[in-house]
Amino acid sequence: GVFAHLEMLEARDRREAVEQEEKEQREEKLAFLKSRLRELRLQRDQLREKLDRLEKGKVGKEGMALDPAHPGPREVLEWKIRSLRSLLQVFHLTGISGKRSRRGLCLSLGTAFEGSYLDSFHLELPVRPELRIRRHSIPAFIPLEQLSREFLHSDFRSFLGRLCQHLNGFVGRRLQVELLQEHFSDWIQGTLHRNSLCNLLTFTYNIPGNSRSFPFRARLLYRDPCRSLPTEVTVSCS
Amino acid sequence: MDETVAEYIRRTVLKIPRDEIKMMLQKWGFLSEAQLQTLNFHQVKDNISQEVVQLCEENSADIKQAAVLDIIYNHIYQNKRMWRVYQMKKSGEELEYFDLTDFKKKFKGRLRSTLKNVTITFREYEDNAIWIRVAWGTLYRKPNQYKPSYVVYHSQTPYVFISASMLKSNLPLLCQALIVASNYHDIREMELRSHSLNSLKDIVFKRYSQNFQTYHPKPLQEGNVEPENEDLRIVQENRSEKERIQRLNREVFGDGPQPKLEFAQYRLETMFKSDPKMDVLDKKEPFRCLVKFSSPHLLESLKSLPAAGMADAPLSPLLTCIPQQARNYFKIREKKGLFPESFVSP
Repeated sequence: GVFAHLEMLEARDRREAVEQEEKEQREEKLAFLKSRLRELRLQRDQLREKLDRLEKGKVGKEGMALDPAHPGPREVLEWKIRSLRSLLQVFHLTGISGKRSRRGLCLSLGTAFEGSYLDSFHLELPVRPELRIRRHSIPAFIPLEQLSREFLHSDFRSFLGRLCQHLNGFVGRRLQVELLQEHFSDWIQGTLHRNSLCNLLTFTYNIPGNSRSFPFRARLLYRDPCRSLPTEVTVSCS
Repeated sequence: MDETVAEYIRRTVLKIPRDEIKMMLQKWGFLSEAQLQTLNFHQVKDNISQEVVQLCEENSADIKQAAVLDIIYNHIYQNKRMWRVYQMKKSGEELEYFDLTDFKKKFKGRLRSTLKNVTITFREYEDNAIWIRVAWGTLYRKPNQYKPSYVVYHSQTPYVFISASMLKSNLPLLCQALIVASNYHDIREMELRSHSLNSLKDIVFKRYSQNFQTYHPKPLQEGNVEPENEDLRIVQENRSEKERIQRLNREVFGDGPQPKLEFAQYRLETMFKSDPKMDVLDKKEPFRCLVKFSSPHLLESLKSLPAAGMADAPLSPLLTCIPQQARNYFKIREKKGLFPESFVSP
């Protein structure tokens, strides 16, 4: 009857209302997503633009740096430091180098023999009130006092030159003694006698393997303390 | 063999610690390997020494050989003796090429010309050290072997190290013989004494580490940096002060180990400075007093004082000048004049 018809109409109405609601929800969501999409696209475009700008800028900078005719201040400083270091190295290789300190002049005397760099010795010379040797590491058997008495005030260059010669002579002789003992240990009989300056050596030696030879006695005298070669050699056979 | 020689050898062996007797007898070289094999080194020292004496009897030892054994003992135990340093002065300018045989001959000759009754023994060591042992007698008495003097000399240096236990009258004789033998013309005692002979040598031969300023980069010794446990919760409040002290210490003392001295003595003859109102001393006389610093290792302990907070850095130059001035006995007097500052006499 009538009620069934009314129910049917009611149901239809409800259905349509629900559909309408769903439709509205869908449209709302769609609108939201569309706006989100628009946002993201905008962001993407902005980032792209930024990237483009940066890349263009970098190229610009590289283009500027490669200009050797106008080095920046940092490069100049680095070059200065490099060349100073090389200069100091050169001085060190000459054997005499110095440094000014608040205590005066500090000299380093390097020694060498046949390509081997050996010991370094030092002098500390205050300049005021007068030039003198305040501290040093020169061994006691080098005649430092004698040299300074003669040359320190009159001819400083000679003083340094002679002192270096003495030191180099001593170091060279000492190295030769050490090498002799090392490389010819089976030739030398007994002990090798030397003095502090290594300028008088006496030793007995035999030629190994030669059973018919008898021991030789060698005496090497180095009269010139600045040289590392002997001035007199005596070989005797007993 | 002379009984006195036998007794001397016996007593010398008794001095040696038991573990070292074999080594020293081998160094001595007077007894053969075969003879040394027969000795039992595990028995009581008394017995060992008796056996050694018997073997020496077989080889007819005389006082010369016995003296060599004594030098060997004293060379190894050199730090048991107190050493004094003497400096010689040269008149001439000639550079000599030191001849050991010449030196020995002149030394013996000079000494024997004044005193017949002496025992003189020489022994050379690897580091160019010449050890001389002198036993002193008198005109009528044989040398006393139990109180010899020892002299250590490095050729071509002006320094002599003497450990003496002799009559005061014999010292000038010894000095004379030394300067004649080594071609010098004068000798004086330096104000430097210690038990450690090697440290004395380090000081006068300038072998100890000194800090010289150079441009040449020395290999940095990493050992100097203290390996602190880096606990981040601990904050170093006075880091800059610590670094300042370390820097000053390095400047003054250098990087390496210090020579070993046992004491520094300062004899003060300065005026007592007090508040005039207090008027402690009526007479205006110098207040004499003696300040002595003693330590098993004086310079190392001085070096560690500022870091330990017990002294201000930089330390007084009177303390730090010790190795450079090569002295540990000082006399400090008042400087007469307008400025009454004290100064150190040379």
